[in-house]
Amino acid sequence: MNQQEQITRIRVGYSKGHSLRFTGHLDMQRIWERLLRRSGLPVRYSQGFHPRARLNLASALPLGFVSESELLDFWMDKPLPLKEIRSGLDSAAPPDLEIKSIRVVDLREESLQSLMSASEFEVEFFDPQDPETLREKIKSLLNQEAIIRTRRKKTYDLLPLILNLDTFTQDSGEIGLKICLKAEPGATGRPDEVLNELGYTNTAYIVKRTQLILSTSNR
Amino acid sequence: MNQPSNNNLWRQVERILPAVTKPGRYVGGELNQVIKSWDSVRTHVALVFPDIYDLGQSNLGIAILYDILNKREDIAAERAFSPWTDMESTMRKAGIPLYSLENKRALADFDIIGVSLPYETLYTNFLNILDLSGIPIFSRNRKESHPLIIAGGQAVYNPEPVAPFVDAFLIGEGEEAALEIVDAYQTWQKTGADQHELLTHLAMIPGVYVPSLYFVKYNQDGTVKKVTPIHPSASYPVNKRIMAKLPPPLTQFLVPNVETVQERINVEIMRGCTRGCRFCHAGMVNRPIRERPIDEVLTALRAGLSQTGYDEVSLLSLSSSDYSHIIPLIEGLRTLLVDHQVNISLPSLRIESFSDALMDELQMISPGGGFTLAPEAGTERLRSIINKPISDELLMETVRSIYRHGWKTIKLYFMIGHPQETLADVQAIVDLSKAVLQEGRRAVGGRARLHVGVSTFIPKPHTPFQWVAFDDPEGIEEKLSLLHDGLRGAKIKMTWNDPDASLLEAWLSRGDRRISEVIYNAWQNGARFDAWSEHFNGDHWRLAFQQSGLDPDFFSKRTRSLDETLPWDHINSGVRKDFLKQDFQWSQQGKARPDCRQHCYACGILSTYNKLRLAAPNGGWKCP
Repeated sequence: MNQQEQITRIRVGYSKGHSLRFTGHLDMQRIWERLLRRSGLPVRYSQGFHPRARLNLASALPLGFVSESELLDFWMDKPLPLKEIRSGLDSAAPPDLEIKSIRVVDLREESLQSLMSASEFEVEFFDPQDPETLREKIKSLLNQEAIIRTRRKKTYDLLPLILNLDTFTQDSGEIGLKICLKAEPGATGRPDEVLNELGYTNTAYIVKRTQLILSTSNR
Repeated sequence: MNQPSNNNLWRQVERILPAVTKPGRYVGGELNQVIKSWDSVRTHVALVFPDIYDLGQSNLGIAILYDILNKREDIAAERAFSPWTDMESTMRKAGIPLYSLENKRALADFDIIGVSLPYETLYTNFLNILDLSGIPIFSRNRKESHPLIIAGGQAVYNPEPVAPFVDAFLIGEGEEAALEIVDAYQTWQKTGADQHELLTHLAMIPGVYVPSLYFVKYNQDGTVKKVTPIHPSASYPVNKRIMAKLPPPLTQFLVPNVETVQERINVEIMRGCTRGCRFCHAGMVNRPIRERPIDEVLTALRAGLSQTGYDEVSLLSLSSSDYSHIIPLIEGLRTLLVDHQVNISLPSLRIESFSDALMDELQMISPGGGFTLAPEAGTERLRSIINKPISDELLMETVRSIYRHGWKTIKLYFMIGHPQETLADVQAIVDLSKAVLQEGRRAVGGRARLHVGVSTFIPKPHTPFQWVAFDDPEGIEEKLSLLHDGLRGAKIKMTWNDPDASLLEAWLSRGDRRISEVIYNAWQNGARFDAWSEHFNGDHWRLAFQQSGLDPDFFSKRTRSLDETLPWDHINSGVRKDFLKQDFQWSQQGKARPDCRQHCYACGILSTYNKLRLAAPNGGWKCP
């Protein structure tokens, strides 16, 4: 095999817990760079004077959210048994970042960002909410013709980005929300925008991403 | 969801965090942090750096103590930092006290709070931290139920300005003393005696200074008449604590989850300095010089890298190029570079100890980038006065060599406001800078760059210049504008310090116990984050001096008489006052004192610590 054939692309599923709630997207990349360095795996680095691990995070998670299903790709200079890769990553993971799954991905496959299709979230409220009132709010929100909002000086319609919005009963017995939002390049909905329309500020709840949906049958 | 802690305080905090800037500062949870079950340990110690997390987290002193204390099974050491102003007001509104990042416990729940005070501009933040914790600010108002407040760090070599707020100071190096303090605390707890008893026991630990066991008497003119111990356990003087041999360096660095300054492996290659620059507080108070063995440094770097995943290492010392084995060390670093792909920084290189060989080596580990030199003064005359006797010729030769070796940018550090400085000395900074850039142009053409950093000289305690007056603000402004005018259009970038902020440092660094009232009033007037130019407000302080009935000029502008009792005379840095006096007199004669690695000038270190040195024959001391 020549060197090119040896290059291996690994897709990692991982969770992001409370300690990492306020770690933003760029800081997450640095956390992964360091994790990969500690892992001792034959990670593929960029050329140049300041070599950096080649890695690709699927989708930025808004500050303050936790997640049980983030995805990331990284590359290695040579293949290794999955078991070995898994234990390298496990031993290097920082608190509240848990490796959930790993698998090998075709080198020719598109980048994770361009494969992104939708994200599912669960919302837990700090103060108990009345289920009926909440359902009413959702109904009247979804009954609008458009939900015009402005974010970072850009005006957009939130309504077509909402694929699903519903209540559910949490383990605690309290009512929560399930939200599924479009997450395509250039058309990504944010749960905090939906929650703001429902009348909640960001100190009233905590959001967990439960699933990333990729366009090609959840690769 | 997986809650990191189940206490009520934390539940409250979690709710307010999304509303403040950079909430990641306030949550902890980093790789390599140590969390112990609260009830499983006997003694809880909070380690506090009184500035924001972003700055304090990289503090090596705190990191070392965190490691040492947490290695003991019966101790939990946790961290706390100053909240930024928006977090502070949110916490105050919600009635949330300052808490530790590990177990999220209120600081008032700890047995001991250890505060790091490396510089004076943290004093108001220190008071603010006590207040945010619901702990009375003055020691005399605290009860046994309150935590014991201990302060250490370079600034407390003059502890007097903050003496009324602190129960006990640790003067000098804390690696051993920190554990002895906890031991004394635990013994006292068992006896159930009152707090005075604890303080008298702490006072018997070498390096510990308990200010309430000393009485200060003043003269009519406001100078100190005498400092008297008022308890048999209070020693006079208090000798600073030092390590006979530096312990192996820290490798278990915390890895922050949000961006902070200096995310890298910091390894101290040696402690102390033998050069004796007369303005330099660190060079005087950190004597004697002790080197770490080269393999210990390299082993620690490798261990640190594999435990953190960092891609940068920095070797700390006051004068790296004076390290006995600098070339073999850099050769060792080269293999590290190849194995780990890291950036290496080696700060504090001295012009006198440069060689072509060193430059060749440095070029291999750190090509490109900038190169920093600190001539500190513009003329040979003034450099002799401050005891940094580098000839113009040597400086130019070094500069030429740096540019020729391929570095494009040189940064030169200067100070203005030195004793006996004239405008001609300041003009010489302009001329020298221009000559340096010209040299660079000759070597590498138009790509040559020069930065000039200018700070203001502040007379510091325990240095040969502890008696001199601080340059007045008008004088500093005049010198700064001379530099601005002179360097304008020369394509030289100049940075400088706010003269008003330097003035604050000048007031506080040589203050006595009475100035504590000024600090308290300034804090009440709203002073916070005095080390931050956007927060520092000199008016809070001027008003505070008025309110306290003290004259600020007494502390900054006054030339002290050589036989005056200085407010810190009862603290012994190991360097004798007579030695400092002689050195000051030499400076007035323009007489330099050579590097003391070759010849001992009896500064006082060996007479105070010789027993310690003999007990650790492989301690790496470089005293002759």
